Amino acid sequence: MTEANSLNSVLRKRLEESETMLAETGCYDGITTLECRDMDPLKFETIHMKLRAGCVSAREIARRISASPGVREVGEMVAAIYTPEGDAVAISNGIMVHVHTMSRFIKWMIRNDYEHDPGINPGDIFANNDAFIGTVQVPDVMDVVPIFHEGELVGWAGAVCHELEAGGITPGGDVALAQERFGEGLFICAEKIGLNDRIRRDYVIRCERNLRMPIYWILDEQAKVAACFSMRDRVLELIDEIGVDFYKRISKEFIEEGRRTQLARVRQLTVPGTYRSNTFYGHVTKGKPGFQPLGDPDWLYSIPLKMDIELDGKIVVDFEGAQPWGYHSMNCTPAGMDGGMFVTLTQHMNFEGLVNDGAWLATQLKLPRGTWTNPDSEFCATATSWALLLPAYGAFQRMLSRGFLARGFLEEVFVGQVNSPMIEMGSISQYGKPFGIAHFECAAAGSGALAIKDGLDTAYVGWNPESDMGNIEIWELDMPMVYLGRSILPNSGGAGKYRGGNAFMSTWVINKSPEVRIVTSEHSSRVFDNAGMCGGYPAPTCQKHRVVRNSNIYQRVEQRRPLAHSTGLDQNNLEQFYQGNQQIIEGPHIAAPMKEGDIFTHSYNGGGGYGDPLERDPVLVLDDIIQGHSSQIHGERVHGIRFKGTIDDETLEIDFSQTQKTRKRLRTERLQDAVPVMEWYESEKDKVKQGDFSPEVLKMYRAAMDLSEEFAQEFRAFWQLENGFAYPQNEQVDLSNE
Amino acid sequence: MKSARPVVAGIDAGGTMTDTILVDEYGTFTIGKAATTPQLESIGFLESAIEASDYRGIAIEDMFASVEVVLYTGTGMLNVLLSRTGRNIGLITNKGIEDMVLMGRGLQSWGDYSYADRLHAVTHHHPPPLVARRNTHGVTGRMDHMGDEIIPLYEHEVEQAVNTLVEKEVEVICICFLFSQVNPSHEILAEEIARTILLRRKAKTELLCSHQVRPVIREQSRLNSLLIEAYATGGGRKQLKSIEKAARENGYRYGVQTLQSFGGLTSINHPNLHETMVSGPIGGVLGARYISQIIKNDSLVVSDLGGTSFDMGIISKGQIRIDQEPLIGRFKLNLPLIAMDTIGAGAGMHVKVDPLTKKVSLGPESAGSEPGPICFDKGNLVPTICDYNAILGRLNPYYFLGGKVTLNVDLAYEKFKETCVDLLGVDNVYDVAEGMINMLDSEAGVALRRLLSAQGIHPSEYTLLSYGGSGPLHLGGYSRGIGFKDIITFQFAAAFSAFGCTTADFQKRFSRSVHLDIPLDTPFTDLQEAVFTINNIWDDLKNKALEQMVSEGHSADKIGFQPFLLMRYTGQLEDVEVYSPIDKINGADEFDLVISTFRNIYRNINRSVSDYGQTSVSVMEMGMIASVEKIKPRLKKARLGKSKPEERTCKGHRKVYFNGRWEKTLLWEMDEILPGNEIRGPAIIEHPATTLVIHPGDEVFMDEWSMLHYRHQSEG
Repeated sequence: MTEANSLNSVLRKRLEESETMLAETGCYDGITTLECRDMDPLKFETIHMKLRAGCVSAREIARRISASPGVREVGEMVAAIYTPEGDAVAISNGIMVHVHTMSRFIKWMIRNDYEHDPGINPGDIFANNDAFIGTVQVPDVMDVVPIFHEGELVGWAGAVCHELEAGGITPGGDVALAQERFGEGLFICAEKIGLNDRIRRDYVIRCERNLRMPIYWILDEQAKVAACFSMRDRVLELIDEIGVDFYKRISKEFIEEGRRTQLARVRQLTVPGTYRSNTFYGHVTKGKPGFQPLGDPDWLYSIPLKMDIELDGKIVVDFEGAQPWGYHSMNCTPAGMDGGMFVTLTQHMNFEGLVNDGAWLATQLKLPRGTWTNPDSEFCATATSWALLLPAYGAFQRMLSRGFLARGFLEEVFVGQVNSPMIEMGSISQYGKPFGIAHFECAAAGSGALAIKDGLDTAYVGWNPESDMGNIEIWELDMPMVYLGRSILPNSGGAGKYRGGNAFMSTWVINKSPEVRIVTSEHSSRVFDNAGMCGGYPAPTCQKHRVVRNSNIYQRVEQRRPLAHSTGLDQNNLEQFYQGNQQIIEGPHIAAPMKEGDIFTHSYNGGGGYGDPLERDPVLVLDDIIQGHSSQIHGERVHGIRFKGTIDDETLEIDFSQTQKTRKRLRTERLQDAVPVMEWYESEKDKVKQGDFSPEVLKMYRAAMDLSEEFAQEFRAFWQLENGFAYPQNEQVDLSNE
Repeated sequence: MKSARPVVAGIDAGGTMTDTILVDEYGTFTIGKAATTPQLESIGFLESAIEASDYRGIAIEDMFASVEVVLYTGTGMLNVLLSRTGRNIGLITNKGIEDMVLMGRGLQSWGDYSYADRLHAVTHHHPPPLVARRNTHGVTGRMDHMGDEIIPLYEHEVEQAVNTLVEKEVEVICICFLFSQVNPSHEILAEEIARTILLRRKAKTELLCSHQVRPVIREQSRLNSLLIEAYATGGGRKQLKSIEKAARENGYRYGVQTLQSFGGLTSINHPNLHETMVSGPIGGVLGARYISQIIKNDSLVVSDLGGTSFDMGIISKGQIRIDQEPLIGRFKLNLPLIAMDTIGAGAGMHVKVDPLTKKVSLGPESAGSEPGPICFDKGNLVPTICDYNAILGRLNPYYFLGGKVTLNVDLAYEKFKETCVDLLGVDNVYDVAEGMINMLDSEAGVALRRLLSAQGIHPSEYTLLSYGGSGPLHLGGYSRGIGFKDIITFQFAAAFSAFGCTTADFQKRFSRSVHLDIPLDTPFTDLQEAVFTINNIWDDLKNKALEQMVSEGHSADKIGFQPFLLMRYTGQLEDVEVYSPIDKINGADEFDLVISTFRNIYRNINRSVSDYGQTSVSVMEMGMIASVEKIKPRLKKARLGKSKPEERTCKGHRKVYFNGRWEKTLLWEMDEILPGNEIRGPAIIEHPATTLVIHPGDEVFMDEWSMLHYRHQSEG
């Protein structure tokens, strides 16, 4: 870019000016008074309502056109209207995570002088799925169109869908095998893909030739563009009604009002101060086929968060102490981190206000450079960034909830989101053709518990509060596998006075295909990536995959012998029922293709619990057992319930007096087992000093301390270690992957 | 009026009141009301019929002897569903997916929520299941989506499940297997096994299979349809029989009819009664279809503003839009329902100011009829839209419900000032009240625009009908600036839905799931197989429809047929309903006609950019609608008189607040206005059941059918 061009870039100058004014006045675009609102508060509300309605109906248009079950069945999309500078004014419902990611995409084009080259003109269509420009992961493909009024750029309309196939090294889009950007799939990097309201044919050809299932991507592209045009029409109609100058002013006031509302809500619902939380994620890939020897195959991630709620209501979240990015697919860009923050805030405090970028402006993320939250190499992969994002923002939800609890808003307390592992597949379909698809039934995990009721079973994920698993009969149209079972996973929600929502498990047999590649992602092994609150237990770590290759299922069928439809309470149903090559696979399933008659299981995750499990109403425990949400042994061991009768003959009931006694005994035993904190600290301190950890834990701390002097100092101070203490680099990284 | 013979009795049994509308051969009607008697609905039915007959001055026996159609609709079955007071049912399904009764669709935990609550995840919860998990039994067996048997049905497991359910004394056993709409043989076999066992055990348990009730793809929706049929309609059918008995005992000569959710009349012996569960609200669309013939415009938008909701529907070129997968009682069903878009916006809705953020919000709570708005003086202290209308003089405090309720305007003013105006820091109470009303009008207007835009239609070709008790009150506001061809309301706006139900024809809708992929670049000669299938299915469905209609006593030569298809571009997941202009494809041109009809509808709805490069279309369902016309109310046509109303029509004047100032406003009695009369705003036209507000500069004209046309000043 030449200097002259840069100086001539009106849009870029405007963006810089807007940012300067925000910095100088503390108000969006320097809007210190809400003139339009003060003049007529009701008209103000009404105009925003019109814009929002435009976004909502645009999203519905897109859902009708889409070919992807992700969009049509489970609503994986969102539509929004932006200012010329790229700040969201109004938003539809849907995957709210992408509102600010699209904002980053627009700003990136402005900063990179798209005004001159390739030019921003009426009828242009731009697309992007590069997370370093502004999205979360490759399958999140976004389209924006500029809105011009009499030659002047007055805003943008944007829409994003999660694509079910992105053409990566494995089928689907959440490519766990990607260790660098180069395996993630088809990248569209802030590209002008259409002119004069038409998508370019050469772009479509590129998609057709680089994707396993281009119909999803291409029809979704048309769906998003139709949605953008619809929003563009709504904005222009509104301008005709209220005048362009008034529109320009009021659209910015909406954002400033959103900012103020966010601050006010935080002041209302929480107590100012510093909150801390920590969660973990275990990534196990050692020995799995296909991984290149670039770095450690196994990672243990510590995800520390510090949240400061300032007196004016500003939320500052700091990820200092996070680990460095790595040669795996779970890294996240600042755009993704923004997205996680945004979607979480809209679920807790921005749901009824002017939902827009104002909320984002009232918050601040501190993302240390070089960590997985803000990688300093743009070659790194982000295909499964949700793996770390969801635990991180689950911890954020628990910090917010502690604020709600402190302020007395018990009904808002929410233990929050969890990971929901994705399954994807490809190769030869039941129609004998190549295919690839991400199966989006994962959009219906269990939620964390609330302080007043159990979490939601099989109907919540953090990235889209409008969660759903879709119909079996629709998914089976697009995959050569038939369900042997889709059932609630008992005890998968964390125990508590209120339990976390339970997840479900699916079991399939491969049908009419000689070759199916099944890959999964976002499994935290060995450590909890979620937590409970106020005495509630975390939900279990993710389940292992059970696989039977060359199974004898059809021989059993011939003899009308019973089949296994899930792994069962003892996790061994498949082994007991089927002969064949039994496999138990921890972490992501990356393995050789499967074929007709092979059996595969995949489970989603439950949410953390709230409150002491010994305080759970015994009647609720009994009801859970009857419904199959939990097992009797779980009720006995975890909740201290004593029963009479049996579940099989439907005579099971609570023995209240024995239950009371048992609970009393368990409480006494807890006290007997308890150790004063200082005693524990002293014994632990020595271990810390010696580095007496498992190798993964040692590497985890060392990496964080190497990267962050601030974290290192805090660590040393807490454990009373000498100045300059560091763990030595005394072992070789094993790159052999064996 | 007494000399005219009543021909149709329409009865709508709501949760609290049962309304009877008696329509005579000239289209004049009288309305009777009585309390609904949920234990035995025939009591409320007769009482309201007696009141309606009394208004006509005839005995109930004479009324029943005279009418040719008794049409009974009600919310009884819906109430059974919502209050979970239905039958004890059992379910047999594929082993491994029994938990679907608990898991549901995730979307059922938020699907009917407002925008705010959809985001606010802590509010989400599943609807309680209709069948107990312990009464749900899985049996081994699987069909795939091509209808191929992947695992045969384990018959011994079916026997075991049936025996267990019989021992548990369930009233109905439901059978629902995956892909039974493609290949029902497992369901048929399971039903045979069950029937044998029931016979042997002399059990009176009913049996219902999903392929019979709703043979359409999406197992959760099919299961919900099946379960609701089993759970909620048993009692409903008994009630309908008792009503027919009561009518016959009083001299009625025919079978009682009820209304299916897609708008056709059917006998109360209709096999799938859940198809009649939601029928009241769709009456407006049927009434509109009838009105469309009178006004000679077959494209209308209907709008029904009541106390809690604003319902909208569309008729495009005579075709009523059908929602193939609606949410009913929080369950997703694949039941064709006349599509009505609803937003939470009504005259009883609370309008509040948040003390913290000073944000104004409309609803979602509503005051309902008890305690009602503040001005009803029955204890509610949160202002509603109705209160603002009273404060601004738009409602007559002494003529509400014909004077049955006196409105306490001072109380409404006081509470409104205290809880809203002072918080906003605005001086003028009336400006804020008017702003609140504008908000409701605007929300309704935006919803109408959204509906139009979602269907890709231009308002200048459409007539807006406004009805519901509060429709005429807000019509001037919510229709402003949209640019409809015409805007019409009625003297009987408050009873328009009930009137609409009485205009329905006898109809049966038959359909079958198919899966035909048709490449568009293939010569017609290579499409013979698909064409053969299409023609065969239409033939089959036509014969089936003919047989059923004739068996119900309709004459074959009176039956009209409308073939339809659900089509999409191959790979998509959403269908477009296409009314085919032909019922047999004989050549390439006719084939192209069907395809181009689909393409035009698709393009209209989804914009041209979405129609790009697709090379294949898929037909997913084919159907046939068979109809027989029924006698209908006829609106009375009168000669147009002079434009100036009679002096006696004017009831005086009062000050009403419009556009920021008090205007001297003439008051008129609606029933006294005559065809040809024109009234210019500001004016209020009052009726015991509704109030029509004419904004300054706007005017209302009564045509020869006594319909009231609202004309905005700026729109000529």
